[in-house]
Amino acid sequence: MLRIEGLSAGYSAKPVLNDVSIEVGAGQFVAIVGPNGAGKTTLFKTISGIVKPSGGAITFDGVDLLAVPPPQRAHLGIAHVPEGRQVFPSLTVMENLEMGAMTESGRRDWQANIERIFEWLPVLKERRDQFAGTMSGGQQQMLAIGRGLASSPKLLMLDEPSMGLAPSTADFIFERLIDIRRQSGLTMLLVEQRVAEALESADHGYVLEAGHVVLQGNNTTLRADDRVRKAYLGM
Amino acid sequence: MEGFFQALAAGLLIGAVYGLMCVGLGLIFGVMRVINFAHGDFMMLGMYTAFYLFTAAGVQTLFGNTVGPFVAILLAGPVLAVFGYFVHRTLISHVSGTRTASLEGEGHYAQLILTLGIALILQNGGLIVFGSVLASIRTPLSSSAWELGPFFDMSIFLNKARSIDMIVSLAIMTLLSLLITRTRIGKSLRAAADNPTAATYMGIDVDRAHRTAFALGCGITAIAGGLLATNYPFHPFVGLEYVIVMYAGVVLGGMGSIIGAFWGGMTIGLVQQMSTLILPTQLQNAAIFAVFLLIIFFRPQGFFGRMVERT
Repeated sequence: MLRIEGLSAGYSAKPVLNDVSIEVGAGQFVAIVGPNGAGKTTLFKTISGIVKPSGGAITFDGVDLLAVPPPQRAHLGIAHVPEGRQVFPSLTVMENLEMGAMTESGRRDWQANIERIFEWLPVLKERRDQFAGTMSGGQQQMLAIGRGLASSPKLLMLDEPSMGLAPSTADFIFERLIDIRRQSGLTMLLVEQRVAEALESADHGYVLEAGHVVLQGNNTTLRADDRVRKAYLGM
Repeated sequence: MEGFFQALAAGLLIGAVYGLMCVGLGLIFGVMRVINFAHGDFMMLGMYTAFYLFTAAGVQTLFGNTVGPFVAILLAGPVLAVFGYFVHRTLISHVSGTRTASLEGEGHYAQLILTLGIALILQNGGLIVFGSVLASIRTPLSSSAWELGPFFDMSIFLNKARSIDMIVSLAIMTLLSLLITRTRIGKSLRAAADNPTAATYMGIDVDRAHRTAFALGCGITAIAGGLLATNYPFHPFVGLEYVIVMYAGVVLGGMGSIIGAFWGGMTIGLVQQMSTLILPTQLQNAAIFAVFLLIIFFRPQGFFGRMVERT
């Protein structure tokens, strides 16, 4: 579904991604793990078009994504749940979800989507008329995920959904994501620093370090790898 | 006592029009974060557009002297909106929006110089095209009044033209707030203002949202200008007189708050008219700024502003 080939990108002269190749098949749950500054967020921003790559190719559903203007990419079926949540603070919870549903499919399936989102993340239903900026970090994260789901995406990209949250809240969000995945069969691409949890639930994983993919494999091979065990799993 | 109520009424009437004028600027600033120094001159263009639509384009013969001016004023709004749309497309978009997201200071220096340049061109271009003679959009209503009362032996006189100006302002303000709060376009404008990057992730074209806001802001201020012109004569440099009031109104209302800008403008109208009770007319503007400083001293974020910067 998503194929990234030889991607290089960076800010002005400083390269962040170097010859990165990643593939996400339809229905797969793929995790990208790695330390701070490895280029994980830059990778997502390049897919969404906020960062322009200096080389390489991205295709989504057979479409050359780099030729598509950034605001059009959501309409192809890519939902980006950004790092740091980035909800719209002066809009209510409901309005935030409506913004998620700007895409054609999101508008068409609005009623069904909103019911499912409220079922998965009931706190959003309770707080539907509250301004997003006045919610806690965990609630904002759930809103950001709900907003992504409201677009009826083919691919949900999650950038560190556990960042800055209390461990129990992060656990809860992880469980919800796994439930959502199981019930909807949605294709997901996850970037995460909580390596153990990410690799446990994903079908396939990539380890990104200093802008390079240093390791990849399915979840059993990665978790069995000595380097991963030492560096990330603390074993 | 009668003087007080008379001034209060006059303040409310003019304040509603000032409010509308400020909302045009506030919309542009709120959504785009662009400081448009040429906004007073867009308003001047709106005044002349209404003037020529009335006198030269047949609105006067079609609708007569009483209704005609208001038809021309309302038509000037869309004309200036289209003009604003093209100014944004050809000039402003180069120094704002997604193109400057990565620039130092988000391109504010370039915006400053560009909008000041546009202001100079409009002012001097206006002088060449329209000449320096004072113009005005007079209607018979401008010099007649409704008498309210008498209540307890006193009557309040409401200038008919200004009363209609106020009604038109309030109607447009109501439509605008419905647009901003209820419609998909309005919500996407607010989303683009809140967080342009996240808005792009949602599939909102931020540059197009900016263009819409700029066009709307120009159209609204043009209508406010036309309404003012039913009572105040104007000339190509009239923008300079109003742009200060516009900025004061936007700051009073709270930078970024669109509805706040209306109340900011209303406050200025009230202060201006009430000050005539105790101060000579020449000191009207001094009174405005004294009150402005006082309010900003106690509430630096303005009426509707937030202390915390957006995330």
